[in-house]
Amino acid sequence: MSQATPPFEDHPPRPMVQRLGAIAWPSFFAAGVATMVFFAFVDPLALAEITFPNLAISRELGYTVGFFMFWLATASSSLFTWILLRPRSRFNRPLPKERN
Amino acid sequence: MKKDIPVNVDTSLYVSESKIQSREIDGRYQRLRKIATIVLLGMYYLFPWLSWEGHQAVLFDLPARRFYVFGLTFWPQDFVFLAILLILAGLSLFFFTALAGRLWCGFACPQTVWTEVFIGMEQLFEGDRSARIRLDKSPWTREKILKRGSRHAAWLVFALWTGFTFVGFFTPIRDLGARVWPFEWGGWETFWVLFYSLATWGNAGVLREQVCKYMCPYARFQSAMFDRNTLIISYDAARGEARGPRKRGTLASVAERGRPLLDIETAESALLHAARHRSAASIAVDARVSTGLVDSWGRDESAGAALFARAASDRQELGDCIDCTLCVQVCPTGIDIRNGLQYECIACGACVDACNSVMDKVGYPRGLVRFTTQNALEGKATRILRPRILVYGFLLLAILVGWGVGVMLRSPLIVEVLHDRNALYRVAADGEIENGYGIKLVNKTAHAARYRVQVQGEAPVTLGDAALTVELPPEKVLSLPVTLRAAPGTVRGRVKVEFVVESLDEGKPVRVVEDAAFFGPVQ
Repeated sequence: MSQATPPFEDHPPRPMVQRLGAIAWPSFFAAGVATMVFFAFVDPLALAEITFPNLAISRELGYTVGFFMFWLATASSSLFTWILLRPRSRFNRPLPKERN
Repeated sequence: MKKDIPVNVDTSLYVSESKIQSREIDGRYQRLRKIATIVLLGMYYLFPWLSWEGHQAVLFDLPARRFYVFGLTFWPQDFVFLAILLILAGLSLFFFTALAGRLWCGFACPQTVWTEVFIGMEQLFEGDRSARIRLDKSPWTREKILKRGSRHAAWLVFALWTGFTFVGFFTPIRDLGARVWPFEWGGWETFWVLFYSLATWGNAGVLREQVCKYMCPYARFQSAMFDRNTLIISYDAARGEARGPRKRGTLASVAERGRPLLDIETAESALLHAARHRSAASIAVDARVSTGLVDSWGRDESAGAALFARAASDRQELGDCIDCTLCVQVCPTGIDIRNGLQYECIACGACVDACNSVMDKVGYPRGLVRFTTQNALEGKATRILRPRILVYGFLLLAILVGWGVGVMLRSPLIVEVLHDRNALYRVAADGEIENGYGIKLVNKTAHAARYRVQVQGEAPVTLGDAALTVELPPEKVLSLPVTLRAAPGTVRGRVKVEFVVESLDEGKPVRVVEDAAFFGPVQ
């Protein structure tokens, strides 16, 4: 009547360095490309003029802020992809024991 | 440092999934879901058609940069209220998840709500679950083409209407409707109607539960809000195991015949055994073994095996689950709730209704699958008021009150003063010093208003001869060029002046003071 189910095999979690690297590195690269393309057409000083004219923003600061904003966006996207690709066993854990 | 990464990723469990044809079931939770669907979609399809004080009740007028939500009008300056509203939405999601599990998923999420409607239409044209499975397998006969065709036609019409309504929130819907025939929509209107139609059709018609299982971020992090006092849908293994079929009316329920409930260890072991050695019925419905048991996969199942062995020889050992697999057949995400809490579960309650209907039929008490808490399942007390509920609740209430007060106390008038860019000051023919300004006045109310503009400050600066009176039409922006004067020699360098704008109308007094600078010669 009953039938044995093949044992469940689950990919063990990868080392933390690999996980971090897989998120940080491609997003860093993409942010670098995006920064180059963006600032090839937009001068940070001109951008500062129409956004925050009251703040003294130098070109260097503009490039830096721009790059890190791009990196924040691309890294968030990579992080989301990683969360979605985790095997479901990582989520289907029993509820933690209650502390008393 | 080096760690081995196994390369033999299992393939057996990562097969592409067969289409889930869920069985329609009636019951308390399915009726609640229908009511939620009608209310929520009713609001969506109806709101753009309502009028409020001469404008569309809910209109996000992007070209005019103005949002109307019934009596409230939001200007770009009110952006912060929208941001707070989003925070409120997030917080209430946390609060209700901690309290009652995934209410959002089962009853309010657009994905599940629209999926319900699309499945309903499928049911209408193609019949119930078994008929649909037959139709899936059948060759392309005339009947299949007819059924499939009419179902897709209905989906298409509904999706187009949904896309039309969506655009109707951004451009006045009556006007949009009037321009359908003869067709006079703009390019972007057409694009967004079609785009949203396609998204509706794809998400609710084709992807369905796949969105919840593979694309939804909330499904991944909602468990962080869960604790043992959160309402979840759960199978009572202590009562249900050992599962097994039986002839109707030949065996009383465990409560009636006095079989004790299993202890937690044996119940879990029995679940494990049932998952490893699936019954023919369980294999037939093809629910993939949940990884909820993965932690216990290497664990001992001998107690469960012994229980099933005893039940095979002595029917008195059987639990109340008759292994009809109806709970799996009705599940829109195709899981087996008996395997425990799973992130795929959207808490729609279909399995609860299905199991209750079966329990009614075989004369057992209801609630073998039910909304309950982990603590209750383990025979402990459920605590509703716990720190996380109190913290979420307090934050929610505080921000809600703050938002309401903030929206109510918004100034109905915005004043912006800009000094002339070209020249700091001019010297008139009579020697008086003149400064030019542009004043922008925004009347945020729906009524015309009269305001008086005055100037005050320590310096002897005047605004012409008399105060300036302006008439502002409702919801209009007025740009007002103004010249301030000072007698020769009275002002040196930069001095501060204040523009005071006061309402001249009866009712609530409005007074806005805006600082500006007046420049004179330095020497």
